[in-house]
Amino acid sequence: MASRYCWQTIVLLLSVVIAVPTLAGEPMEKIKQTTGKIIAIVTDPALKAPERAKERRHLIRKAVDERFDWGEMSRRTLSTHWAKRTDAERKEFINLFGELLERTYMGKVDDYSGEKVRFENEIIDGDYGIVKAKILTRKETEIPVIYRLKKKSGDWYVYDISIEGVSFINNYRTQFNSIIVKSSYQDLVKRLKAKVE
Amino acid sequence: MRNALRLLLVLSLWSVEFPAPCLGEISTFSSSFEREEGILFAEAGDSSVVTHQPEINSAAAPLNRAQTLRLCQSSDSGKEGSEPRFPGEEVVEEGIIADPLEPLNRVFFNFNDRLYFWFLKPVATGYNNAVPEPLRVSLRNFFSNLFMPVRAVNCLLQGKIEGFGIEITRFLLNSTMGVFGFGDPANVVFNISKKDEDFGQTLGFIGIGPGIYINWPILGPSSLRDTVGIIGDGFLDPVNYLAPHTRYNMGVKAYEKLNGTSLVLGDYESLKKAALDPYVSLRNAYYQHRQHKIKE
Repeated sequence: MASRYCWQTIVLLLSVVIAVPTLAGEPMEKIKQTTGKIIAIVTDPALKAPERAKERRHLIRKAVDERFDWGEMSRRTLSTHWAKRTDAERKEFINLFGELLERTYMGKVDDYSGEKVRFENEIIDGDYGIVKAKILTRKETEIPVIYRLKKKSGDWYVYDISIEGVSFINNYRTQFNSIIVKSSYQDLVKRLKAKVE
Repeated sequence: MRNALRLLLVLSLWSVEFPAPCLGEISTFSSSFEREEGILFAEAGDSSVVTHQPEINSAAAPLNRAQTLRLCQSSDSGKEGSEPRFPGEEVVEEGIIADPLEPLNRVFFNFNDRLYFWFLKPVATGYNNAVPEPLRVSLRNFFSNLFMPVRAVNCLLQGKIEGFGIEITRFLLNSTMGVFGFGDPANVVFNISKKDEDFGQTLGFIGIGPGIYINWPILGPSSLRDTVGIIGDGFLDPVNYLAPHTRYNMGVKAYEKLNGTSLVLGDYESLKKAALDPYVSLRNAYYQHRQHKIKE
């Protein structure tokens, strides 16, 4: 029953998307631009020199910041704990979370070795969008990736990525919630700080 | 033995009581349960939204059945303060997997961690250096091809006739054109990709919940349902018929594991690096991944 409802609405949405060609394709276009930019930076032979590593990271970070909404991600990972935080605490958390992600994933971007990203389709409903893609690795595996975007002030920002069905935000939310419930928010901040040092 | 079976039956039936579309499987075993707040996530300051939920820090009181059912219903309606979920978006499974055995699971997690870094990784790295990647990929294809009966039968059990046909077709193509399964022309040339089904997914498909999380030593993360699934699949696995003697059987399985691990070296390290609590991260990733596979 649920899947039938899903199919009907997907068909409806797709027809809406096709009927309004000027709006269709925006989230996918934006993601294509960003992934294109990052791949260009990573494969640029001039930037491969170790002296320019810092500049390279800075460029990548800038490209990522254009498309990823750290505030939205932070809010969703803390979920109900977010409401209780003061403004200063929220700012601190957004910074720490951003640092954690940068440290974790910057190295992975450096490991890029020619994998192709094939964009498949997208679904848009109002201010929310989903873009589905597949990453084709060297080892003949296809990794399905889903980007979830939200429209803010006219531009589309990613707030979640699911790889093979595992949502990144969901995963962090479980971890953070587990730590906050077992000890405290302050302990979470302490652990985050220790991790990014 | 009989008591163990009774316990298994009770635990699996307990999880069947909550219908599959219900988001959120709440543990009433453990007093330190954790809850995915996604279902009752509320916009700060949005007064029209229902924000009632048990105080998070008074985790000692287990949820009673009525509250759990309300959780299921509210998530289905999607109206009360849940993250805006629009039709067409695949329903993000906000549930959690019950983990009453957490202390024991953590012990096994640490054991597996040591096993990986002290044994499996060094051996796989040496193996990596000795055997070139294309050959290892071919070996993986070979084992995967051999595993076809498991996938095909489980497609049938779930009523996925097309999937069954796809698996048979892939097997025939890969065994002939792909030379006994070492190649994968079905995917590379004809774009027919694998329909990965197993008995654990079949059980999930018919509505059986995962039960509880079990992190087996050596075998890794699993759940009650998926463990039953692995046992069930054992009856369909050709290796168990071709190499029935324990010594050879374990040898083949161990080699398959080694070969598979050699192709994904680095994944576990990435998970540890990205996570604040790798145990929770792995459990959550495992649960989400299985939910995703069941839905496919």
